[in-house]
Amino acid sequence: MSLGPFLFGAPFALLMLIALPVIWWVLRATPPMPREADLPSLRLLDGVDPREETPVRTPWWIVLLRLLAAAAAIIGLAQPVYAPGAATGTGDDGPLLIVVDDGWTSAARWPDLIEAASASLDTATRDTAIHLLTTAPRTLPFDPAERSSRQDMTRRLASLEPNPWAPDRANALARLDAAALSPARIFWASDGLDEASGAPFAAALAARAPLTIFAAPPRGPAAITGLTADATGALVTLARADSGDGTSHFVSALSRDGTAIATATALFQPASRTTGARFDVPPAALARADRFRVTGAQGAGTVWLWDTAARRQRVSLVSDGEAAQPLLSDLHYVRRALEPHVILDEGSLPDLIAAEPDAIVLTDVGEIPPEDLQPLTEWVEAGGALIRFAGPRLAAQGDDLTPTPLRRASRSIGGALAWDEPQALDRFPTWSPFSGLAVPEDVRVRQQVLAQPVADLDERTWARLKDGSPLVTAAPLGAGTLVLFHVTAGPDWSDLPYSGVFVDMLRRAIAAGQGRVTADAEGLYVPQAVLDGFGRLVQPSDAAAPLATGDFATVTLSETHPPGFYQGPAGTRALNAGAGYRPVPITSWPPSATLLGDAKARSFPLAGALIAFALVLLALDLLVALATSGRLPRLAPARSAASLAILCLASLMLAPADMAAQPVADEANAALNLRFGYVRTGVSEVDTRAEQGLAGLTQVLALRTSVLPDPPEPLDLETDPLELYPLIYFAVPEGAAPLSDTAITRLNAYLRTGGALVIDTRNGATVGSDNTLSGLETLLEGLDTPALAPVPDNHVLTRSYYLIDDFPGRYSGRRLWIEAPAASPESRRGDGVSRIFVGDADWVSAWASDERGRALYAVDGGKQQRELAIRFGVNLVMYVLTGNYKEDQVHLPALLERLGENDPDRGPPEDLFGDPLEDPDAFPGEGGPIDLFGDPEPLP
Amino acid sequence: MKLLTDPAALRTEADALARTLPRLYLRAQASEAVHLGSAGRRRAGSGEQFWQYRRYTQEDATTRIDWRRSAKGDTLFVRETELETARSVHMWLDPHPGFDWTGDPGRQTKAARARILLMAMAKLLSREGERVGVLGGSPAGFGKRALERFCTQVSSPLGETPLPPRHAGTVLVASDFYDSAEDWRPRLSPLAAKARSGILLAISDPVETGFPFSGRVRLSRPGTTVRRILGRAETVQDTYLEKLAENRAALKTLAATLGWRLVTHDTGETPLAGAARLHAVLSEIGKGP
Repeated sequence: MSLGPFLFGAPFALLMLIALPVIWWVLRATPPMPREADLPSLRLLDGVDPREETPVRTPWWIVLLRLLAAAAAIIGLAQPVYAPGAATGTGDDGPLLIVVDDGWTSAARWPDLIEAASASLDTATRDTAIHLLTTAPRTLPFDPAERSSRQDMTRRLASLEPNPWAPDRANALARLDAAALSPARIFWASDGLDEASGAPFAAALAARAPLTIFAAPPRGPAAITGLTADATGALVTLARADSGDGTSHFVSALSRDGTAIATATALFQPASRTTGARFDVPPAALARADRFRVTGAQGAGTVWLWDTAARRQRVSLVSDGEAAQPLLSDLHYVRRALEPHVILDEGSLPDLIAAEPDAIVLTDVGEIPPEDLQPLTEWVEAGGALIRFAGPRLAAQGDDLTPTPLRRASRSIGGALAWDEPQALDRFPTWSPFSGLAVPEDVRVRQQVLAQPVADLDERTWARLKDGSPLVTAAPLGAGTLVLFHVTAGPDWSDLPYSGVFVDMLRRAIAAGQGRVTADAEGLYVPQAVLDGFGRLVQPSDAAAPLATGDFATVTLSETHPPGFYQGPAGTRALNAGAGYRPVPITSWPPSATLLGDAKARSFPLAGALIAFALVLLALDLLVALATSGRLPRLAPARSAASLAILCLASLMLAPADMAAQPVADEANAALNLRFGYVRTGVSEVDTRAEQGLAGLTQVLALRTSVLPDPPEPLDLETDPLELYPLIYFAVPEGAAPLSDTAITRLNAYLRTGGALVIDTRNGATVGSDNTLSGLETLLEGLDTPALAPVPDNHVLTRSYYLIDDFPGRYSGRRLWIEAPAASPESRRGDGVSRIFVGDADWVSAWASDERGRALYAVDGGKQQRELAIRFGVNLVMYVLTGNYKEDQVHLPALLERLGENDPDRGPPEDLFGDPLEDPDAFPGEGGPIDLFGDPEPLP
Repeated sequence: MKLLTDPAALRTEADALARTLPRLYLRAQASEAVHLGSAGRRRAGSGEQFWQYRRYTQEDATTRIDWRRSAKGDTLFVRETELETARSVHMWLDPHPGFDWTGDPGRQTKAARARILLMAMAKLLSREGERVGVLGGSPAGFGKRALERFCTQVSSPLGETPLPPRHAGTVLVASDFYDSAEDWRPRLSPLAAKARSGILLAISDPVETGFPFSGRVRLSRPGTTVRRILGRAETVQDTYLEKLAENRAALKTLAATLGWRLVTHDTGETPLAGAARLHAVLSEIGKGP
């Protein structure tokens, strides 16, 4: 039954409204609840008849409240629906046909369409037969002849979803004909697009039965129709259906996991139907994007999938650490050389391998961590190009992943003691990919790693020096290639990185590797991830079929070929729903059809709201009744209980925050205050000694120097933040297990960023040798150390605070090993400061003292040796903290001695500083300068 | 005000009240010398304390001659002791649930107030050597133990009807006396036969004296199933007050016919006011004819 714009599902319930006056009369007659009271003296009233027993009447507003509640409940039970579009319904009971456009073009306003279709159901009675026809083709389409009830149809409509392909209305019409259906009314929920097929379809429907149409063309951009990428960015083209006002929209570039990489603005000019969104983003950054999407829009058409076929080569640079001096690092040169030509990616090795780049560049990585070696090898064998550069670490400790076996040393050409000159490049061999490049005349190579002479070394050589030694070697490994530059990527060893040829050589080396991209020949592409109607990437359904390479240009999207990513021999290729789409709104509707506007195509069920209103009124009435009979409990206790509960909750929420703040405070403390760390080995005796030793050293430092460290901390190499400690002491317990890969990796990073590691095997009691470092190699396998050497004479370590010539601990006469000084000042790293100290003199035992400064352990040489050990400790800390600052001082005695020669007795002064000292007697003492540093040495 | 209802708290309050009141002397009457006790009557009689020596007369038994005094001279003397008597005061408290009721949770119930007053009086009397006891309880006695026993018994429920005391004495009956005087007369007459003097302590609540009800009210009497619905309570107020006044007048007449006194107290007043009124009336007992 309809009453103006209101429809009633159960109109007979309205008859109950007749009962309202009865309710009113009863309410008037029933007195309100009496107040209860006790009165012991009630006996006094025995026999008294009250003059007026007529009760107080129920107040008028309570009567009104109850009447309103009753009326609202009665009307609510009649299930009223407000449906402004319902008045246009004819109201007869013939079959109703609902036609829904469920292509991707409908997705933008899908809820509106479904709501309109559901609203059209309200005009039908319970017995009306309802039929459904969807226009997007499916392999198993809905049969329009199938009749369902109103309830079933509501559920079916709610479960409908737009398809990621376009509707085919001619096909839908054919299915309707086949169903031989003669509906009394037709309702078409249309996307309002595609005049060419829409207008005839509407006319055909209108010819069958009275037609009501709700058309909802997309309001914003209808589709992304294309994408062009170039060296500076990408251009996304969009199209919209209405040519109205100028609007602006946002397009986001999303990575595979859905994070937005970049956003661009698309501005539609008034009366224009197409526009573009320009991404001015470096290709390297954009390379991670795999789809573009109009922000806020939903639908398969507003998503553009970007396949790998359109992209450029991707090269990964392995950059563990090296961030301390980024401009001096080798990677810097590689990065600058390749940046304009390829898409660069940096990170740690495992991540990069997982990203499957075309090539990976490793600069002077001595030994690839064992757990990375396997995947890296597999990646090369699968077709990757691994390009490596030599360097001190590779020369000292290489691995097998090189094109040719290497000698365990580097060759220095043209040093001070060498006869030969730095070498120039020879012509590139004809079999080399470099062949044809101009050989730069001015490039000199001063140092290189040498290949061991093997039979096919000549064939593996891509470039060589004038003297014939290989400069670049390469060898195939599986489907991939290994390329080794025998020099550093930086200018330490050669001038090559300064030259323009370096760029070409790198590019050709990468091209030779070729990554995984193979020729785009015949082949099948299998759907990998497809779009659903709303533009979400989902697993392909069973109906999705592989697609031949040649068919990508001509295929029509359908259930067997939905838009999405297809995996094939040449990477992935994308099929896009909106490619080349031109949205044309339908304008010529049949004159007999009724067009519904947005507002009319809705209906609002009112039953729930009315019954809720009635319940609220009844609850109000209950409160009023309780209040008048004095039974409403006081609110105060409830309020205090509530506040108590809130307090409890708040304290619960605050407590974890306090607990979480604790470790952060510790780290901040460690970062703000200088302190030493020692490796927690798990052997309590050793750990105690290390702690006592470092604590003793800390006390001595505070007493004698301006270094005021905090008490030492135990460190877990695998979890604690190592970079907060300038010096880490590792007292190696006997029979220690090898360090874990994680610990080694973290130690490597720590040393590369400037940390200092003291390794003490504490085995110095062995007589007969001055070093017992056995077992260290297995313990520290993988630690990225350059060659070690005993501390040379006059090293800074002997002069950084005290003058010492031995480094005793509990044992004396032991040898201390540090990093070997580099061959030339140019090639040394970190200003030549050694980062690693290896010995066995058990220094911590000599340093150990209690809090009052009393020594805890016996030392071989007694008091004297303990003092010397402590002095070494002070020197060590000074060396670690100040680096080579004191190195200049090494030459001071010689300078002073020469100044002393200014004395007339010793002959004419040497003009050291340009002008002679005016007053040699400024130095006290007899006949010369004071001997500040012991035995002076001649200036080299 | 913090409301204390347990017996110990009531006892404390009663003690405090007793301390603020002056000493209580019951006027002695020779005819009432029925009990030996420590209350000196300031004349010769049977007692412990020396009172006087007097000359021997013929009718005195020879055993009464005080030879020690007589040996000092030629005259024979008889030693006389002071007459000591003690009065018994028996008290009773109405156990009706309507009596243990208050119209305001912040106010003491009538029964609690009555207990305080009774205990305060008992303490005062006990201090002067009188016997105190509970009607229907153990016999009246002297001293501290008797007082403690009294306090315990008066705090626990008593019998519905006051039982007559075993010995003559003064009777103190505390109730709200809302039953009619005709109902009370048969209950009090046996008491009056034993006790020539007595006090009716009528305690009321401000709600009962004011009848502050209006509108539709259902009234019920505690302890009974009597209910009355008043459509408009305010119209009954005047009638009620009239009836209350009649009840009090009838009660006064009843007391007078028994030879007793009526003391009224309202829980809206301070306990001291009621205690002072009781004190005055108790002090006057026995003064009459």
